[in-house]
Amino acid sequence: MFEKESGLLQGTVELLVLKTLSWGPMHGYGIASWIESATDDVLRVEEGSLYPALYRMTRKGWIKAQWGVTENNRRAKYYHLTAEGRRQYREQTSGWRRFADAVNQAINTRSAPSWAK
Amino acid sequence: MSDRHSDRDYRFVTPKPETEVDDELRFHVEERIRSYVASGMSAEAARRAALERFGDVAAVRDACARMLAEDRKAEARRDWFDDLRQDIKFAVRSAARAPLFSLLAVVTLALGIGANAAVFGVFKSVLLDALPYAQPRQLMRIYSPFRDGTQPHGSLSAGTVSDIRERQHSFSSLGAFLSPRDGVYLNGDTPQMIKSMFIEPQLFRTLGVTPARGGGFRDEDALHDTTTVVMVSHDAWQRLFAGNPSAVGTTIRLNGIPRTIVGVLPRGFVPPEGTADFFQPLGIKLFMTNPITVRGSHNFGFVGRLKPGVTEEAANRELNGIGAELERLYAKDNLGIGLSVVSLRDAMVGDTRTPLLALLASAALVLLITCANLAGAMLSRTISRRKEFAVRVALGAGRGRLLRQLLTESVMLAIAGGAAGLAMAIGALALLRGLTIAAIPSYATLTLDTGAILVTFALTLATGLAFGAGPAISVGRSDPQRTLRDETRGTSESVRSRRMRGVLVAGQMALCVSLLAGAGLLLRSLWAMTSAPIGFEPNGLLTLTLQPQGGKYGTLAARNRLFDDVLQKVRALPGVTDAAVVSQVPTTMSSSNGLFIQDAPWAPNEPVPFISTGAGSEDYFRTLRIPVRQGRVFNTTDGPDAPPVIVINEAMARRYWPKGNAVGAHIHIGPPNPTAPWITVIGIVGNVRNDPTRLAPEPTMYLPFRQSSFGNVLAIRTPGNPIALTSAIRRAIAAVDPMIPIYKVSTVDDVIGDGFVMRRLPVVLITSFGGLALLLVSVGVYAMFANMAAAREREFGVRVALGSPRAAIARLVLGQGGVWMVAGLVIGAGGVVGAARFLRSQLFGVPQFDPIAIGAALAVLLLCAAVALLVPVRRATRVDPITVLR
Repeated sequence: MFEKESGLLQGTVELLVLKTLSWGPMHGYGIASWIESATDDVLRVEEGSLYPALYRMTRKGWIKAQWGVTENNRRAKYYHLTAEGRRQYREQTSGWRRFADAVNQAINTRSAPSWAK
Repeated sequence: MSDRHSDRDYRFVTPKPETEVDDELRFHVEERIRSYVASGMSAEAARRAALERFGDVAAVRDACARMLAEDRKAEARRDWFDDLRQDIKFAVRSAARAPLFSLLAVVTLALGIGANAAVFGVFKSVLLDALPYAQPRQLMRIYSPFRDGTQPHGSLSAGTVSDIRERQHSFSSLGAFLSPRDGVYLNGDTPQMIKSMFIEPQLFRTLGVTPARGGGFRDEDALHDTTTVVMVSHDAWQRLFAGNPSAVGTTIRLNGIPRTIVGVLPRGFVPPEGTADFFQPLGIKLFMTNPITVRGSHNFGFVGRLKPGVTEEAANRELNGIGAELERLYAKDNLGIGLSVVSLRDAMVGDTRTPLLALLASAALVLLITCANLAGAMLSRTISRRKEFAVRVALGAGRGRLLRQLLTESVMLAIAGGAAGLAMAIGALALLRGLTIAAIPSYATLTLDTGAILVTFALTLATGLAFGAGPAISVGRSDPQRTLRDETRGTSESVRSRRMRGVLVAGQMALCVSLLAGAGLLLRSLWAMTSAPIGFEPNGLLTLTLQPQGGKYGTLAARNRLFDDVLQKVRALPGVTDAAVVSQVPTTMSSSNGLFIQDAPWAPNEPVPFISTGAGSEDYFRTLRIPVRQGRVFNTTDGPDAPPVIVINEAMARRYWPKGNAVGAHIHIGPPNPTAPWITVIGIVGNVRNDPTRLAPEPTMYLPFRQSSFGNVLAIRTPGNPIALTSAIRRAIAAVDPMIPIYKVSTVDDVIGDGFVMRRLPVVLITSFGGLALLLVSVGVYAMFANMAAAREREFGVRVALGSPRAAIARLVLGQGGVWMVAGLVIGAGGVVGAARFLRSQLFGVPQFDPIAIGAALAVLLLCAAVALLVPVRRATRVDPITVLR
């Protein structure tokens, strides 16, 4: 799903996980599926690489895991946001927006720099 | 409940990290397969596609499992510390709720742990710390013991030293020395008393000591009759030369002769015997030229370094053999004298080992009693807090958690007590360093280093666990339901905790009676030593030592004149009734000489007896109030040119002239010089005990001061306070010659007392430990009976109501507690036997199982216990049935 060692993407994955969990507790499979569908499968690479991200976020105290049962009565590990996770979500969302807007603005501009020939 | 708690509950079913990650990933893959199958794929294709979409399952699994395992460990640690913090907070709170109990516990623990830490500090610096030499385990001291056992640490003659050098194969190097002696160092114009010591240059090599500054001795320095080079100890360098590096190379006047400082010894260095400020090179060859003293004078200490692989036993065997050979070869001088090897550590520790071990053991006993006592007290507290614990268990606290809580409380008390105890120990050691007790080896620093502090800390923790364990276990076993339901029995004890309390009291009684018996034996022995008549009147005697310089007072005549003048001036002082010169005042006499009687030569198989020898002026016996039994004592005509005479004591007269014909007998003393004139015995005086640890006075002989070359101590009698005379006497002596240093000013009482310090100090300490133990045991006995009586209050009420006499109730209570006390005494009998056996070598004038000492110990213990149990037993018999049963 995501490149492993890319710092940019790693942050992006975490933001997307936070976004997913902002709707409520969900297991890894559900998170992966939602991110893929929500991004129209653009970020679809290897689903397995989601899990180290989940464990890292658990360690950072943004999310917590608890075993639960799915609608189909199967045992699954559900993740939910902690208070810190919610705070991160808010901060990172606005940060991302500023970042994306800035990049967008830059690449959409039509006025050429002075040195352009 | 907080998040943390729900997590922890859930952790009881938590699988291993690998399994948990496996489960999570499997769920993911299976869900994916399911969704593929639902979209129409075959099971096999769906599986392949799902795995491909997931990526490297094994790598993800490993990475996640590792992180999970780390996180769990960190969390467990966090939980542990959280619990600990909570336990400590709780412990502080519960200690504050019972301030008196806490304070008493901390004080008791401080005394117990402090005593142990202080004694351990001494023990460690004397017996465990490395000697200030290189590889000290290889160093051995060679002694020349008398076969009759009288002088186990005899010194060697110059001949023996060089014979050993020629014959031995055990040692890689050897070095001889002479014991430190008083000397005079001329500091500017002021003569100052110092200690100097002759040491063979190779002894420094043997010890592995190199000078901190300067080049030190060269071997050829020892070849001269008059030494012109000296080395100085680090202490003396600081004290006399202010640590000035340029002192090395300067010339100083030592004992009237200019000598050059060629080195400063390293800090912490002490000679193998005593202490010294200056060291002079000793050349043993110079002592080999006098045919009489070469084997007749036994003055040398000898230290060797074992070759690698040679044991102390092997060296001892070899030296035993050499000793026997020398005894055969030089029977005239060496008959009855052997050779032995003792590790230098043992030689330097000397007689301090057993008292130190006894002290360590008694301090440990006190701490054990403290533990048992506090365990009893904690038990009472836990019983009164049983409801609290039951509620906590009922609310879900684990028993393990409760146990930990209780142990935290006891360990916290122990740590508070340990900290206070450590401070006490540091203070006590500082005090002890101030006393500078001669019997403590000079290398011992008497400080608590990191090691000792760690030992104390470990001891503190062990103490806390020990006295907390019993009550904690009893709580762990109790049944919360019953406790909570059983309203009325809230303060009573279970059979188990009653039994535990009984065992604790029995243990305390056993330990205490052993400690008290040991203290009793030592006290009786000390009393026997100090109370036996010493043979002279030490009260009202002042003693001081003069050090006339060699050159000016080199001849007997000059020295006699000097002391005549001094004595005349001193006698003229108001308050002085008598004054005399003597070589050494009693209890410090150290020289002895061989005895040879005219026309009664010793048989070839009979060793020459060595007799303690002193020298005194005419007034010596009158000044000390030593009675004259027969014949006469010296008078002024017994001068250097008059026929030599000698006075002996009764013990010597009885031993060697049993027929009573001692007066008029002719003898030779010292290394036998057949050409010297015979000495005539002119009188017999009363016995004086020179060694106060021996009850039987030893044979002693006195040479007239005017005829002998030694004697520089004044003994002055006054009806008043001897110390008050000091300045007047100093002025009187200065009027004769202001350049004579005066030192060792003291009352004879103090001199005798100093000799007893190392005997008295452990006895005083052990006795105070015994007192402390007695107090603790009394409290323990009181608590046992008080709890017992309280527990059966209702029962006693019923009994009284049914007509039981009060005496029957008293019997009941006494019987229940008495069993444990008797059990304790029975077990204690073993301890008493052990204590008496252990102290055997320390006992003088009392039998090993002295009935008075042991009986007194038992009586004191029983008396205290009886007083302690009186109040609770009386209270039990006074139970008012109406109040109790209402």
